[in-house]
Amino acid sequence: MSFIAAALVAVTAAIAVEDGGSASLLRHAYLVPVVAAALRFGALGGGLAAAAAILLSAPIVLPEIERSGLTSEAVEGLVTFALLGLVGVLSGVLRGKIGRHRRRYETLVTIQRTLADEAPLDLALARLRAALADRLRVHAIALVARDDERLVVAGGDRVAEGSLVARVLARGAPAFVSATGEDVQPCRAFAVPLLSRGRAMGVLAVERRGDISVAERAALEAIGAHVGLALENARLVSRQRRFTAELEERVAAARRELEELDRAKSAFVAIASHELRTPLTALQGFSEILALRRLPAEEVTRIAEVMRREARRLGRIVSDLLDLSRIERGLEPALCRVPVKLEPTIEATVDLFRQGAATHLITTECEPSLPVVDADPDALERVLTNLISNAIKYSPTGSAVRVGARALGGAVAIEVADAGRGIPAEVVHRIFEPYYRVPDAAGMARGTGIGLAVVKALVEAHGGTVRVDSTPAIGTRVTVVLPVPAGAFLDTPRRSRVG
Amino acid sequence: MWALDRPCVPRAERLCADTPLALLAVLGVGAGVVAGLVELGVLPVHAGRVAGVTAAHGALLATALAWSRAGVIACGVAVALIGLAAGASQLGPVGALAYLGPGLWVGLLATRGRLTRLGLGTPVRPWPIAAGVLVGGALSCHLLVSASRTLGVHVRVDHAADVLAAFAYDLGANVLAGESFFRGALFSRAERRWPFAAAATLATSAYVLRYLVDPLLPKSVELMVGAVFYLALLGAINCWLFAWSRSLVPGLASAAIFFAAYRTLGVR
Repeated sequence: MSFIAAALVAVTAAIAVEDGGSASLLRHAYLVPVVAAALRFGALGGGLAAAAAILLSAPIVLPEIERSGLTSEAVEGLVTFALLGLVGVLSGVLRGKIGRHRRRYETLVTIQRTLADEAPLDLALARLRAALADRLRVHAIALVARDDERLVVAGGDRVAEGSLVARVLARGAPAFVSATGEDVQPCRAFAVPLLSRGRAMGVLAVERRGDISVAERAALEAIGAHVGLALENARLVSRQRRFTAELEERVAAARRELEELDRAKSAFVAIASHELRTPLTALQGFSEILALRRLPAEEVTRIAEVMRREARRLGRIVSDLLDLSRIERGLEPALCRVPVKLEPTIEATVDLFRQGAATHLITTECEPSLPVVDADPDALERVLTNLISNAIKYSPTGSAVRVGARALGGAVAIEVADAGRGIPAEVVHRIFEPYYRVPDAAGMARGTGIGLAVVKALVEAHGGTVRVDSTPAIGTRVTVVLPVPAGAFLDTPRRSRVG
Repeated sequence: MWALDRPCVPRAERLCADTPLALLAVLGVGAGVVAGLVELGVLPVHAGRVAGVTAAHGALLATALAWSRAGVIACGVAVALIGLAAGASQLGPVGALAYLGPGLWVGLLATRGRLTRLGLGTPVRPWPIAAGVLVGGALSCHLLVSASRTLGVHVRVDHAADVLAAFAYDLGANVLAGESFFRGALFSRAERRWPFAAAATLATSAYVLRYLVDPLLPKSVELMVGAVFYLALLGAINCWLFAWSRSLVPGLASAAIFFAAYRTLGVR
């Protein structure tokens, strides 16, 4: 600054000393401080330096014009005035353009660097806002971006309805406000959409107490487009990573599930083999005794009864396996439905358990005049057998098992309740899965893990539902609800086959 | 932040909103009638000058005050005080002291906070005032040096009373009304709509034009060119001073110093 002022004064002094008038060759030396001012301070600096040069040389040129008119020397002086102004302003303009391009390039690099790190959208916007505030030399700056249905705002709390940002967000076009309020110093506001695939995915808004020139607005539009693209890319990368993580998690879960299923099937094969072998061994042993020995009639009857029970057990396991096979193929169990009176069926099934083992106190509570249900008697018996068998297996010896039935609107509810250790709440939803066994129950009693899966399939094939209510250390109650068809069944059995 | 929090309503106010058209019409008609009567010889020439000064400077100052929403009474009082001062100054150099009236009135309004839109009555830093003094001083020095080197103009040191009277006129009417209207009102309003360069060009062009049509300005080519040169510079720089400081005081200082120097010049 002082160099420029000193140079201007020195050139003027040299022209005055030389006394060469307006045509002095030294006048061209004004170009040095003028160009220097333009390069240092831009168009304003160049223009001011040129104006200062003109002012300083005016006392030399103008009196000459007044004395002698427009002589060639005077014209040369005037041309020098014009040239100084032109060179000063043009050099400054070019320098300004270069500076703006450099700043724009640096800003774009800043944007890319800021958004290079993966971060949540609100944090990325806050960082970007801080970086842009440094570069854009504005009094206030805000960045707004859509994140699905919500708006993330950096530089404010919210986007008010009808505000400049809201308008730009809705219209997708830049908007300029030359004065935002009634202050003596006008504050300009400019908002540009952050465009991505032709859609405004956010807004960059700036406010400045002073001009926001056309060139600056054009630069801000370019920055807005760049920020939009960069944000979209960051979001896509983030989404892709999130999807990849989710996919990996799902694959891992599926693999764990498959491994568990595999383990369960392996365990099932071992258990099923054992379950099948036990009655087979009994049948084999007792049949050999009957074939090889002559026994008293009472003993033959007892052995026949044992063989019958074991054969029934074997048949039940085979039936369960067949039903499971159908379930796994997506088929419903085959049913032969007839009107069935529940109370005799329940009493008969319970009697079988009472005869087999007297380890538990099994009671029945059936409401009188229960409606008949349309069901497969064999399937119903298997359902009851499975439930009562489970109740006995998983409750302590000597405890009570209660089997009951009651009318429930247009349905009948059958309940089997025990006073066992109960089922942990976190696995209750899994007990109807094939092969699944409650982890700590495996050591308590033998089982294949398919009984309840078959129960559920059979009940649902009847159009009913099954529910488990269990309280650890208190007991478990399984409720089977079977629908009663509209219109009472006649006492005369009417056979129908379903499934 | 305004762009986020406040509703963005489209601008409804026009550039010339709040102009006291009735008052301007009265001033124009009054000046025309007086000029006609002077032409017919009914009134003395002095009456024409009083009416002209009152109409021109009164219109500028009243418009500036009206745009600042100072109120009709404030505008009327300002016009009346200028008219009174113009009349008093015709009685002799001492009468020109009456030009202090409009300045005091504007100062009173400013202290009451009614002229903040004009950039008066708001706090102002010392640096812009110093810059205004410097600009006024530099232009004055240049004017005096240039003038002293030409054949037709010289620095006048006689008739000090006339110089002081003219200086009082500048302070109370010419500079006060010019800066209030062209910078405080016109430039300020234009800057709210357009970029600085456009607003400064409009205000400075109007400022220069106002002096070119002034019947009191000698019509020689040299003086016309000089007036355009210096007034354009002064106007543009004062616009910049106003935009920088948001106060009218630096511009008033530079213009007052420049016109004080101008009043010392005389045609040989």
